[in-house]
Amino acid sequence: MSTPTEVNVLNKARRRPLFADTQPAPWVRGVSWAVLVITALAITSYVTELPQLTSSGTMQSAIRLALPIMLAGLGGLWAERAGVVNIGLEGMMILGTWGAAWAGYQWGPWAGVIAGAAFGALGGLLHALATVTFGVNHIVSGVAINLLGAGVTKYLSTLIFEPVSRNPRESPTVPKFDTYSSQPFGRWLGELEETQRFGISDVAGVLRGMITGLSPLTMLSILLVPLSFYLLWRTAFGLRLRSCGENPRAADSLGVQVNRYKYIAVIISGALAGLGGAALVVNPGQTGYLEGQTGGRGFIGLAAMIFGNWRPGGMLTGSLLFGYTDALQLRQGPSTVHALLYAALLVLVVLAIYEALRLRWMFAALCMGGAAVFLLLYALTDELPEQLTPYTPHLVTLVVLALSSQRLRPPAASGQNYRSDA
Amino acid sequence: MRRLRGLLAIPLLLLSLTACVKDDPNAISRIGKGAACTRNSPPAAPPSSSSTTTSAEPVSAPNMRVGLAYDIGGRGDTSFNDLAAAGIDRAKAELGVTDVRELSAAAGESPSAQVARLRGMALEGFNPIVAVGFAYTDGIKQVSKEFPNVKFGLVDSVVEAPNVSSLIFAEEQGSFFAGVMAAYKSRSCHVGFIGGVDIPLIHKFEAGFVQGAKAVAPGIQIERKYLSPAGDTRGFNDPGKGNEATRGQIDAGADVIYHGAGASAKGIFDAAKAGGALGIGCDADQYQQPTLAGVKDIIIGSALKKVDVAVFDFIRAVALGKTADLPKVFDLRNDGVGYSASGGKINDMIPVLEAYKAQIVSGKLTVSQQPTR
Repeated sequence: MSTPTEVNVLNKARRRPLFADTQPAPWVRGVSWAVLVITALAITSYVTELPQLTSSGTMQSAIRLALPIMLAGLGGLWAERAGVVNIGLEGMMILGTWGAAWAGYQWGPWAGVIAGAAFGALGGLLHALATVTFGVNHIVSGVAINLLGAGVTKYLSTLIFEPVSRNPRESPTVPKFDTYSSQPFGRWLGELEETQRFGISDVAGVLRGMITGLSPLTMLSILLVPLSFYLLWRTAFGLRLRSCGENPRAADSLGVQVNRYKYIAVIISGALAGLGGAALVVNPGQTGYLEGQTGGRGFIGLAAMIFGNWRPGGMLTGSLLFGYTDALQLRQGPSTVHALLYAALLVLVVLAIYEALRLRWMFAALCMGGAAVFLLLYALTDELPEQLTPYTPHLVTLVVLALSSQRLRPPAASGQNYRSDA
Repeated sequence: MRRLRGLLAIPLLLLSLTACVKDDPNAISRIGKGAACTRNSPPAAPPSSSSTTTSAEPVSAPNMRVGLAYDIGGRGDTSFNDLAAAGIDRAKAELGVTDVRELSAAAGESPSAQVARLRGMALEGFNPIVAVGFAYTDGIKQVSKEFPNVKFGLVDSVVEAPNVSSLIFAEEQGSFFAGVMAAYKSRSCHVGFIGGVDIPLIHKFEAGFVQGAKAVAPGIQIERKYLSPAGDTRGFNDPGKGNEATRGQIDAGADVIYHGAGASAKGIFDAAKAGGALGIGCDADQYQQPTLAGVKDIIIGSALKKVDVAVFDFIRAVALGKTADLPKVFDLRNDGVGYSASGGKINDMIPVLEAYKAQIVSGKLTVSQQPTR
């Protein structure tokens, strides 16, 4: 460890960057990113005259759309942190949708939530049994669970739902959660949003979208992200669990019961995916169980987790990005997605300046290059082709992954089987 | 420092929790902020009914073995597969058909699975075979060549072959009525259309709806959205996304929503109900559907596409050996499309709808299949 004076001497020898070449604290980075993105969106919505970019309706939509993806991603995170790749999230989610509908239509939405998590956990248990106890390849077991989830629910819904709903593909109507808002803040922010003043209305719209029209399941699920972070990174239990994903042999030699931790992690993973399925059934705006309704959201959750570098905060950002771009393209279509190009351009310019001040010329150049591409796209087109807009979230993820894949670090032993010698 | 931050978080959390108030589902605001439309006067009432009575010669075909290949969803989708099933049920009742094989497509299956399904039924001696949905186009093309003596009926798509009857519909004519209903019922002169998948078949729904609405109110504003692009059929099966798209259109000011989105309909009607808007059903009479019972109070009517009529007529024509006499297109003239006013919310409009119907039937008004943008 060098003393401060030594650092100063060293720095005088080089040209001194304006910012120290250390990463700021995670929460500082998180807040700066949020400020940067909201500012960019505010400017964009002012320039392009599209208030929908930061309207509370869009934000509410984004949260509703992000929720199942986020829960699946959180499930993937738990499993991978313990060293088990869980590609069966989709199947566990399907099990969750069926369980939630089955219990929900008889005993109400809270029963649906519990049953959804329980059915997902059953899928997780099966995955754990296959991968941990029997040493099956994680991908093979995951794919099998996806097929099984679809098949079992098809059978069960024909057996149990059809006599009631007269439709083998659909559950009877499931009672939904009511929505809640934080008042009087919601009303107050709504008035601010209505004024359509630059900046203020944008922030008010975003905040209002986050505190109004929330179901209890939404609030609970969002709390699960910091809770997962706390459990995994701030407790002895979490340290042991993560050690199974990094170096199970070392963990074993220190007395950690690797298989037990893996079981716990994969069952929790399944329960979270099942909760994501329940969110597709008992949240307001959803319609109960429908065959095939998950539509690949489990896989997108996995992508959001990789996007977030196997960390809860990043995963949350990734799923919100998916939810937001999806909300934009579903609500307003090509014009707002086109405006997003402008916002991305602004963010990249700021990033380029920041990196340049830190003398990281390579990154600065990359960001400037990206900004130039977006500027060209924005100036040369009036609207994105409508065939492209539904894939906006996927494209954004691809671009971000391509740019940041060098810095991604999965758990070292993820996907490997471990057999204890004992 | 960390402890301090943690302590700070507690009152904040408590504050937001105590301020948590349940939303009132009845407090729906700002629908109808625009002015009502200036409407064209409806066309003159039609001359007294000149109904075309079809000579119903009794047909009996107890030995006929009918194969039916459903699109994704199969019997029980409350939409057009169910209508095809209704056609088969009518054939059983009226023609005495007893041997029927019904098979369903699985979501995301390969084209070869469709070919195998059709071929399997042909090999087992089923004749005629009805394939429901445009997804079977290539399968029918291939299998109809292999079995020249088997009669095939293909719903929603065209294959030129001597033993294939293409059962296609003038959806734009049915959707025209949806447009007329919407323009009359909209309080803000602003309506919306949600399509399931961005394909020519669904463009016909949009085209008819837009022309119907504009025929009534030329200045009407119309929101349009397709849930998924061509090639991705999930838009027909995603109520969650249908819900968000509908909320978006309602937030933009639309207050009557028509759709062509299959099983996503439930989410669409849910959002319409939550936002104080009205909905118009498609294909079947959706007011009557048990799975939509919770939202039927906002369904003012439906644009009908009578797949049941087409399937029944096809089976009957095969029994008579007169498949060449089947209509080229099932449209208003032969009662292949239409509208329903179940629920009684548009009873006052029926003379208007009938007047437009007479104009379309007589050819004075043609409805284009291409949406204008």
